[in-house]
Amino acid sequence: MHEDRVSLFPKIVTILVLIFLVAPLVVIILASFSPTVLVVFPPKGFSLKWYANIFTSSTNFLSGLGNSLKVAIVATLIDIVLGVAAALSVTRYTFKGKHLLIAFFTSPMYVPSIAFAFVLLRVFSMIGGVPAYLRILLGHSIIIIPYIIRNTIAVLAGYNWLLEDAAASLSANPLQTFTKVTLPLIKPGIMAGALLSFLYSFDEAVLGSLLSSPRFITLPIRIMNYMEFSFDPTLAAISTLLIVMSLTSIVLMERLIGLDMFLK
Amino acid sequence: MSKKRNFFFLSFPTTFALLVLFVAPMVYILINTLQQDGIANFVKFLTDSFYLNILKTTVIISLKTTGILLLLGYPTAYFLARTTSKLKNTMMIIILFPFLVSAVVRSYGWMVILGNKGLLNQFLLAVGLIENPLKIMYTSHAVIVGLVHLLLPYMILSITGVIQGIDKNLEYAASSLGCNPLKTFFKVLLPLSTPGIISGCTLVFTLSMTAYVTPRLLGGANFRMMSTMVFQEVNVNFNWGLASAISYILMFVILLFLVVFNLATASINQRVGGQKHA
Repeated sequence: MHEDRVSLFPKIVTILVLIFLVAPLVVIILASFSPTVLVVFPPKGFSLKWYANIFTSSTNFLSGLGNSLKVAIVATLIDIVLGVAAALSVTRYTFKGKHLLIAFFTSPMYVPSIAFAFVLLRVFSMIGGVPAYLRILLGHSIIIIPYIIRNTIAVLAGYNWLLEDAAASLSANPLQTFTKVTLPLIKPGIMAGALLSFLYSFDEAVLGSLLSSPRFITLPIRIMNYMEFSFDPTLAAISTLLIVMSLTSIVLMERLIGLDMFLK
Repeated sequence: MSKKRNFFFLSFPTTFALLVLFVAPMVYILINTLQQDGIANFVKFLTDSFYLNILKTTVIISLKTTGILLLLGYPTAYFLARTTSKLKNTMMIIILFPFLVSAVVRSYGWMVILGNKGLLNQFLLAVGLIENPLKIMYTSHAVIVGLVHLLLPYMILSITGVIQGIDKNLEYAASSLGCNPLKTFFKVLLPLSTPGIISGCTLVFTLSMTAYVTPRLLGGANFRMMSTMVFQEVNVNFNWGLASAISYILMFVILLFLVVFNLATASINQRVGGQKHA
């Protein structure tokens, strides 16, 4: 009895927090089916016209989506290669200054994106002629690399390196050892980190704001620009699509490695 | 020898990318700014009350946000760490899921709720609690609501991990020795979970100091925080020198807070027996 009373307060707060967290997302999903421009509750009917708007009217959301995917996919692929190698280098070998090197690898996390975005803007304008796609891609490759490295280090911390020695003693060369033994075992962790980084880049709006050009604009910036001129539920429709994408990702992540990785 | 070569081969690409695309630009632009106008823009920022107020607003909003996050996040984290409910995984998904949704989308959701003709005002008017719509959008309150929503998962996750590492028997022991729940909390749970609280607070404070999308969308054009100010100086006032100064001052202020937080962690860790949770 005593115990139940103790946990009542945290329980109530938890329920309120969960409601608070999902409220705006539920509102967006309901608003996307609103037949009227002004979202009212209870809704006065049901309509899919805002979804049609994404494809038919000149929202440019689709080109924004294409641009965001192009940046996020390429940046994630580059960073998987760089990040996994870097994570291996600091977990496979013991050496002095290891923590310093890890701190260096994750340092972009501690610099405000707006400061980094502004610095890149100035550097690129000094160089001149760098297309917006490349500017955003390079910027994103830097800011997401800490997430891939941290995740891979976390997976590798639980990895039994004797397996590599065993493979080597069975006359596998280092490349074979990595691709046939180590990689398959750490792959789920890398995938989860990659998914996280992909979403970060896909949703990123600070570098996107400063480094885009009229010819290359990413989706979050398209949505913010649209908001300045009109506030109809087309915004809710595109947002709902993004929410569904995130929900799919998190379920995928849960399947891949479970959600405990977020508790470290 | 081959070990050294392998290590170099593995760590070089990332090191090179970070040096060329991150460290060099950050240092070069700082030097360049100082060469062009000396410290004039820094002095302008630090002596003009208009700009100092923006820094003050940014710090105050971030502190308020951090406080609210701690009050909401701690009990939630405790519940998550201790619950044996089958719904735990579902709860984790609900907490993590907004974390993966774009800040633009989440701010939009709050705009629909908090606007003058928004759902909250519709509801309050219909119930008769108010006669005129409340002005919440484009105030600091809206920004704080948005930031709390944005950063709650970070705070909850930072603390849950630490509480999971505290033996539940310690709480039983305290209560069997006659501590009431409140006393158990202050004498046992709170001291042991301080590392998680500090790392959570550090994280959310830094993130709200640098947040850009939420203050821009929920605060509107006349609400200024450091990061929206950088953007305004670049795109509206075309004053790149001042934008530089604001960027580096923001970095410096955050660094200062991080050092203070780290010193606090070190001294607290010493007192609670050098746990390495943080």
